[in-house]
Order: sequence, then C-alpha cells, then structure tokens
Amino acid sequence: MTTIAMGEMEQLRKEADNLKDQITAARKAMQDTTLQEAAASINVVGRVQLKTRKTLRGHLAKIYAMHWSTDSKLCVSASQDGKLIVWDSITTNKVNAIPLKSSWVMTCAYAPSGNLVACGGLDNMCSIYNLKGKDGNVKVMRELAAHTGYLSCCRFLSDSEIITSSGDCTCVLWDIETGTQKTIFAGHQGDCMSLAVSPDFKFFISGACDFTAKLWDIREGTCRQTFGGHESDINAIGFFPNGNAVITGSDDASCKLYDLRADQELITYQDSSIMCGVTSLAPSLSGRLLLAGYDDFNVNIWDTLKAERVGVLAGHDNRVSCIGVSSDGMACCTGSWDSFLKIWN
Amino acid sequence: MSSKTHNANSILLARRTVLQLRTEASRERMKVSKASADLMNYCTEHAMADPLLVGFPTSDNPFKDKKPCTIL
Repeated sequence: MTTIAMGEMEQLRKEADNLKDQITAARKAMQDTTLQEAAASINVVGRVQLKTRKTLRGHLAKIYAMHWSTDSKLCVSASQDGKLIVWDSITTNKVNAIPLKSSWVMTCAYAPSGNLVACGGLDNMCSIYNLKGKDGNVKVMRELAAHTGYLSCCRFLSDSEIITSSGDCTCVLWDIETGTQKTIFAGHQGDCMSLAVSPDFKFFISGACDFTAKLWDIREGTCRQTFGGHESDINAIGFFPNGNAVITGSDDASCKLYDLRADQELITYQDSSIMCGVTSLAPSLSGRLLLAGYDDFNVNIWDTLKAERVGVLAGHDNRVSCIGVSSDGMACCTGSWDSFLKIWN
Repeated sequence: MSSKTHNANSILLARRTVLQLRTEASRERMKVSKASADLMNYCTEHAMADPLLVGFPTSDNPFKDKKPCTIL
C-alpha cells in the first residue's frame, strides 16, 4: 500500500474504534436497571406442559424448515428428500406434495395470502410456487437467482415481494413479478443464516455467522442497528410480538433478547446443563414464552422475562431443526431431522 | 486482483464501515427501565389471550381428536 493509503487506513481504523467505544458508552448510559431487576417482582410462569397432538408423517429424509400459513391450519415443510409438503395440520392430510428440482433445500416460506410458497438451499436460488394455479397443478412460478451462496432463509412480504438471506453474506429484497433484486442488504461479515420480518412489515432482522444480528429498514435499504454478544453463529432469529425486541438463538447454546429502542441486549437464556446449539426459535403469542429448538433433540420453553426454563418438549429422535407458533397462538409445530413434524399444545 | 485493486477495496470497505458506525452511533436510545416496563406490560396485557401460556378448554382444541360418535 502507498504511504498515503496506509495513512488513510490507519485513520479509518482509529475512527471505527472510537465510534465503537462511543456506541458501547451510549448503551451503558441507558442501563439504569436490568430486565432481571425490573422483573424481580413478577413470578416465574408455572410449568408449561404441552402434548403432541399430531404427528405429520410423510417425509423420507431430514426436515430442514417449516412455516405456518396465516390461517393457523395449513403449514409447509421442506425436506432433503426433495419435497415441499403443504399439510393440513388438523387432519394431518397432505394438501400438496411438491417435487423440487434440487433436493438440497434449507428453507421454506408460506405467503401471508396463502397463494404462494417458496423454498431454496444449496442451489443458491429462491423458487416460488403458485398453489392456486388454474389447472390445480402446483408449478414453479419464478426462480430468483442472483445469490452467490446458499439460500438459508426466505420470508414473503406479500405475493409480489420476498426477502432472502444467503451464505453469500447478503440479504435481498426481490420483486417476484420481474424476478429481479430490488435491494441488496450488505454488511454482515459472515453467512446470513436466518431472517424475520417485523409485525408492521417495515423492518427485518438477520442473524449471521459473524455472531451479530442486524436490523434493516426495508424501504431505505439501510442497516439501522447491529447487535453483538453471541460467541458463535446465530442460527435463528425472531421478533418479540410487539416488534420492539429481537430474540436470537446461537451455536453458543444461548438465546438472547435485544431491545430495539434501548439498542442493547436485555437478557440471555442459557443454562449450564445446555451445551448444544440452538437451531430454531419462536415466541408464544404474548411473548411471555420462548420456544427454542436445540441440537440435543429437545425444545426448551423459557419464561422470557425471568430467563428460567419452564418446560421441555421431548419427542423427536433427532435434532429439532425448525419450530413455529401459529398466528392464533394455539399450537406450536416442530420439525426434525427424524423426518417428522409434531404439533403441540 | 492486483495489489492496487485489493488495497482500494480495503479502503472502500473501511470507509463504508465508518459511515455505518456513524449512523449507528447517532441513534436515539431509550432507558432500559422504560424498555423493560414496555415488554413486561405487553406480556401482561396479552397473557390471557396466549393459549400456550394459559391453556384453554379441551373442547376448544382443534388439534385434539374428538371422541368417536355413532350415527343412529
């Protein structure tokens, strides 16, 4: 590097360090208490005991992802047997069994309208399927290709827009109609593993292998906040139901709650007896419970305000890879490498 | 990539990082006490409507198998 260039690099490095210190100090200045202290006067919720009400059988290999439809009845799952299955969770019937071009699928999503589903994985593409085609056959409607890494997660904003996260360290907002990228969200320094859209559809959060979570403004295309603290890859991420906080799950065996307005971590959900990574998470309707899936085949249920474990869902014979709570909050669905989905309440 | 291009990229990245950090540093922040209170209030307000938290009658459970019935 030229001397001038080295000088500028050194200057930029110093300014970056100063700014990071400023952010740390500004966050500390807001710490007039902790969530633990603030919640000291409320009691831990009573033991939560959920039972398996349905087992959805049909996949022939590991299930990697599931997503509820907004009707709280149908759900879609993706398995490396190369199929997307749309289930009626109440009858356990398979509404659609969609064969995929690529069996290396890692994510799936249901559009809020119920008209479309999407999936993707090691093919680096997000494929959109129309469930309500005229002749009754489910066909590929669009293949969104531009990512240079695997598709780790996707979530619909509507029938015309979808957001994807990728192993290429970026997230993308797509126009489904034209199949083009509307906005590229760059900034993570590691594979993006998971994303979640805010309840008002204005923001989304991403968790990555750089151990951070980022909050993005969808329309501005900018990163508003970055949250650190985890000591390993963030595999799962979700919004607290009021949209003001974010929950992350990591390979460091912990989940963390970050408040967006205080711009910092408020509490960590961990236990010395839990030594395996968190794969997936979903809050209950009120946000008081956090259901988190782990590599040790279990789901732990946490009291989000007290950070105490209040229940366990044990029933899978392999890693729990995905979890979701239905929109009406009536049931939780878990998907596993044991090839089954279970509905619990 | 030539050494010059590589260095130019590093500087661009460093500039972008500084700009991003400036944006993040300048944001308004709320006290943890208020943020915590809001979270706790939300949980309390919505507790009774949270089926997994408070439970609900078996007859209202769409996932519970109904008892078999005979057609007379």
